[in-house]
Amino acid sequence: MKDKTKIGVFVCHCGNNIAGVIDVEKLTEYAKTLPNVVEAFNYKFMCSEIGQELIKEKIKNGEINRVVVAACSPRMHETTFRKVCNEAGLNQYLYEAANIREHCTWVNTQDTEGAYEIAKSHVRMAVAKANKLEALEKFRVQVEPTCLVVGAGIAGMNSALDLSNFGYKVYLVEKTTTIGGHMAQLDKTFPTLDCSSCVITPKMSEVLKAKNIELMTYSEITNISGYVGNFNVTIKKKPHYIDQEICTGCGTCAQECIVIAANEFDLGMKKRKAAYIPFPQAVPGKYTIDMDHCIKCGICAEICPVDAVKYDDKPTFVDIKVGTIILSTGYDLYDPTILRQYGYGKYPNVITGLEMERLMSSFGPTEGKVKRRSDLKEPSTIVFLQCVGSRDFTEKGNKYCSRVCCMYSAKQARLFKEKHPNANIFIFYIDIRAFGKGYEEFYDSTGREFHIKFIRGRISEVVEDEEHNIIVRGEDTLLQKLIRIKADLLVLAVGLEPRQDSNKITRLFNVQRSEDGFLMEAHPKLRPVETLTDGIFIAGAVQGPKDIPDAIAQAKAAALQSALLIAKGKVEIDPIFSIVLNHRCAGCKSCISVCPFNAISFNELQKVAEINKILCKGCGTCVAACPTSAIIQNQFGNAQLLPMIHNAVQKSEKIGG
Amino acid sequence: MVQDKKYSLFLGCVIPNRYPFIEAATKKVFQKLGITLVDMEGASCCPAPGVFRGFDIDTWLIIATRNLTIAENNNYDIATMCNGCYGSLLEADHQLKSDVEKRNMVNYHLSKVNRSYKGSIKVKHIIEILYKDIGLDKIKNRVKYGRKNKLDLRIAVHYGCHLLKPSEIRPWGKDSETPHFLDDLVEATGCKSINYLDKYRCCGAAGAVRSAFKEISLDFTREKLTNMRAAGVEAIITVCPFCHLQFDLGQIEINKIFKDRIDAPFNIPVIYYTQLLGLALGMNPEEVGLIKDKELSGVPPFISIEPFLTKIGEKLEG
Amino acid sequence: MLDYEPDIITNCTNTLVDSLKEAGYSEVDACIQCGTCSGGCPSGERTALKVRTIMRKVQLGIEDILSENDIWYCSTCYTCLERCPRKLPITDMIIFLRNLAVQKGFMLKSHLDLCKKFCFSGHGVPIDDKKWKELREFYGLKKVPPTVHSHEKDLDEVKRLLISSKFNELINIDSEELGIKKKVKVSIVEETLEKYITEEEKLKISKI
Repeated sequence: MKDKTKIGVFVCHCGNNIAGVIDVEKLTEYAKTLPNVVEAFNYKFMCSEIGQELIKEKIKNGEINRVVVAACSPRMHETTFRKVCNEAGLNQYLYEAANIREHCTWVNTQDTEGAYEIAKSHVRMAVAKANKLEALEKFRVQVEPTCLVVGAGIAGMNSALDLSNFGYKVYLVEKTTTIGGHMAQLDKTFPTLDCSSCVITPKMSEVLKAKNIELMTYSEITNISGYVGNFNVTIKKKPHYIDQEICTGCGTCAQECIVIAANEFDLGMKKRKAAYIPFPQAVPGKYTIDMDHCIKCGICAEICPVDAVKYDDKPTFVDIKVGTIILSTGYDLYDPTILRQYGYGKYPNVITGLEMERLMSSFGPTEGKVKRRSDLKEPSTIVFLQCVGSRDFTEKGNKYCSRVCCMYSAKQARLFKEKHPNANIFIFYIDIRAFGKGYEEFYDSTGREFHIKFIRGRISEVVEDEEHNIIVRGEDTLLQKLIRIKADLLVLAVGLEPRQDSNKITRLFNVQRSEDGFLMEAHPKLRPVETLTDGIFIAGAVQGPKDIPDAIAQAKAAALQSALLIAKGKVEIDPIFSIVLNHRCAGCKSCISVCPFNAISFNELQKVAEINKILCKGCGTCVAACPTSAIIQNQFGNAQLLPMIHNAVQKSEKIGG
Repeated sequence: MVQDKKYSLFLGCVIPNRYPFIEAATKKVFQKLGITLVDMEGASCCPAPGVFRGFDIDTWLIIATRNLTIAENNNYDIATMCNGCYGSLLEADHQLKSDVEKRNMVNYHLSKVNRSYKGSIKVKHIIEILYKDIGLDKIKNRVKYGRKNKLDLRIAVHYGCHLLKPSEIRPWGKDSETPHFLDDLVEATGCKSINYLDKYRCCGAAGAVRSAFKEISLDFTREKLTNMRAAGVEAIITVCPFCHLQFDLGQIEINKIFKDRIDAPFNIPVIYYTQLLGLALGMNPEEVGLIKDKELSGVPPFISIEPFLTKIGEKLEG
Repeated sequence: MLDYEPDIITNCTNTLVDSLKEAGYSEVDACIQCGTCSGGCPSGERTALKVRTIMRKVQLGIEDILSENDIWYCSTCYTCLERCPRKLPITDMIIFLRNLAVQKGFMLKSHLDLCKKFCFSGHGVPIDDKKWKELREFYGLKKVPPTVHSHEKDLDEVKRLLISSKFNELINIDSEELGIKKKVKVSIVEETLEKYITEEEKLKISKI
């Protein structure tokens, strides 16, 4: 015989968020009239220590055995109150939330009468559900003590190194032939003007040497299955056509190769051979043959001192099992070609910020001397244009601010001016965003010491004269005067975008993207490095535009979250999953096709659907899709939901109160 | 060595040549306080920090430094009664003390008249001497009137810009926005300093504005007077002859020029601080120059100080 | 007929910034155009003076500001300088811009008159009427104050200094007009120049 149901209702004031709109005393009194409610209280902050103790005390005294907290969204404090129940010795699934903040007072601040009625129905529904709640138990799965890090830019490298230092095995998978990412392409970094290479190349060699890191460059993830703690991953290693085990990196193949192609690392501004490494400090420093350009002349094979060339190299596939995954696949740069008015791709002396970066780099195409594409002369008037493709609400651009462009342009301008004190540099901007540590001071120095001219206004269009100079046309909005500047070089401060193949990543890893197209974190404030898929974390610009310090901070946080799971060895799974009632299942497989988490498979033997309770997130899609009502979901079954609906549609008077 | 209790008195232009009662009152009041003010024989215009400096900074600096050298020869720190002179001399002294190149440049020119700047003296406003060197407590102790019969007038204090700013080289501490030292000095006499809107704002006279755009300059003053009147003040206390002139002569001019833009003609008595202090110390109005030469026309004070004197008389009798 | 005069900035130069730099005000490009200066400017409330705009025009080398009245509307109250978040000596910069304007020949007549008064008398506000002497006497003071008004020799000094700094040339007054003989000036210059450049003297000066 079950104990008699004794529900306690706790109404939270949430400061003035709730109490400022509705009469919490009246609501408390109302709650007391609901079926099986034995106690009802209200308090300023139920989530505070005092509020929690109030609930615990009532449970411990045996006065209540069901808890309803009428407060904020369960996304905010469900865990908090479940823990309270647990600590007081009550099964935590006998708690129910009535969201009278987000769903009531926040959206009805003017209509207090109406808000009160809504609050009443929320409480009524929650009590109705609480009457039907069942005790459930969490269950645990083992966590494989290994991690997969996808993408070896500055973020991925940092995550991998941290995990490796924890003593965990890390698979670091990189799409290109070298690690280092975009940071390896940069000349110097703001605001300290450290040489980017000097910062990143030692990190790259540290990654190569770390004994817990298994580095797989020129590789891609092709398949993934499993769940938190137990992911099965297939990695495709693309053929290098040069045996990476044997290659000594001597470079003879590249020296003798007769095929010339554009070097991607230098954005096509420098040439490379078909046999190549992207840049001298690339890691691992082994050569690759670009088969799109190779003519298989055989010279390299003949000349290689260690016989490493393999024209018949084939991709290989590696299967690994990992406990956690960190996605750090970085960003792409906005392609400004579509903004025809700026002439990128048409006028040779209009370049992007990253191209400028390569031109300024000592190992770039011009060995650090900025030169015009049209005549290889050094420019003396340079115009920068900010927010190219950013803060642009048309279909041609991205709505968001890319966060790094103000600073990288200021940095490039200052570095150029340091070498060319007589140069004239103009930066057209909408707002200057110098938010990081030392950034405002850096921005200040560009004017104060280097006399770089900031012009508030977005260039509207540019034209080219017969000497390929760029005439920019804009407005100085501070003077409200039109302005025309003849520039030797126009640098477009292009923004950061989600990777072109982001869709592939989201499908493969079953993670979500936010509206801006970047991968979405589980909670914008409280869970910044987690995804909604347990065990998969995000680090760096894959989550949104970031500067180097922020990318590294997030990478380290992701590594720590990952390590936390591995260190525990086991992970608790919420028992809010769905169950198939085999006797009702007709084997139509409708559920399998709608499941967003690939959690349902088909048991060919019994001809019924089977739900993997670890993968299942309890979204309920399958329940709705099942034509024979063969699927029920824990805590969200008909037993719980029908009384809620029943109570929602009834007039409050009929229930009493 | 700078000797105690003696200062080189820098007169400037407006005080000796237009408002001599300020000179007379200040000398007498300081004497009463035991401080001798020694004349700076042969001093010129400071020259004015906004107007003259606006024409040629180097010339301004050279002439200002020449004035400094007179005080150096006297061997007494400078006391000025004018915010403009204070601004010029203080700024010049600061620049020469911190910039060797400028000092060399100025000394090159000065050598032609057999002078050279040494940097041996300080520049002070008489208000700084009263507030910092003598101190509020000592002044309060010297004030003749007690609680029952005190001056107790409603006063609009006007600091004037160059007394306060640039604050970096002034002795008033970090707050140049809402200082209270002058209010304290006024209240030490028994009067009440009344708060009024935009109390710390410019009178409008300086910076070459009055000389070239009198109407604009007086519009500053009109606004200040309106705010003062709204606060119900009985007198304006100034510490600068140019502000003094702007409020005194300015009221006559405003009453004419802005006839249609003011509710009623202005007639608020304008008193220089040392005149008020003198009264508080027990001196009679005559001693502190609070009488008008009835035989001369077109001389200050332009706004009658009679109502002020009458009120003082009433307060002291009552 | 088009009656609109196009107003387009086509020639951004550093001329004004360079002049300011030379005078020791090198930081004008640190101005971020926040408008704190104009926002609290008592003159800007009633005149065309917009301090932020002046600073902007300086940055871009727009020299109209030198021939326009705006910079002369500043009452040098120093409010902008005190409040500038970038700590720019704005008021001092405006004063320097006035110097540039005067150098280019832009000076208001009333200001020129003031200069002349000063050059001849040593006072911006001199005793120019006997009533002022009588007024002094009324208050128990010497008829003539102990300034340059009482000392011919000192007035002469002031005039020599004005000539030495070429201020008289700036406002087109001949030194003879001031009563100073040129010959004397030359001999003094030679004599003191020599004195000025000796190392010993330099050392002495820098030790102050």
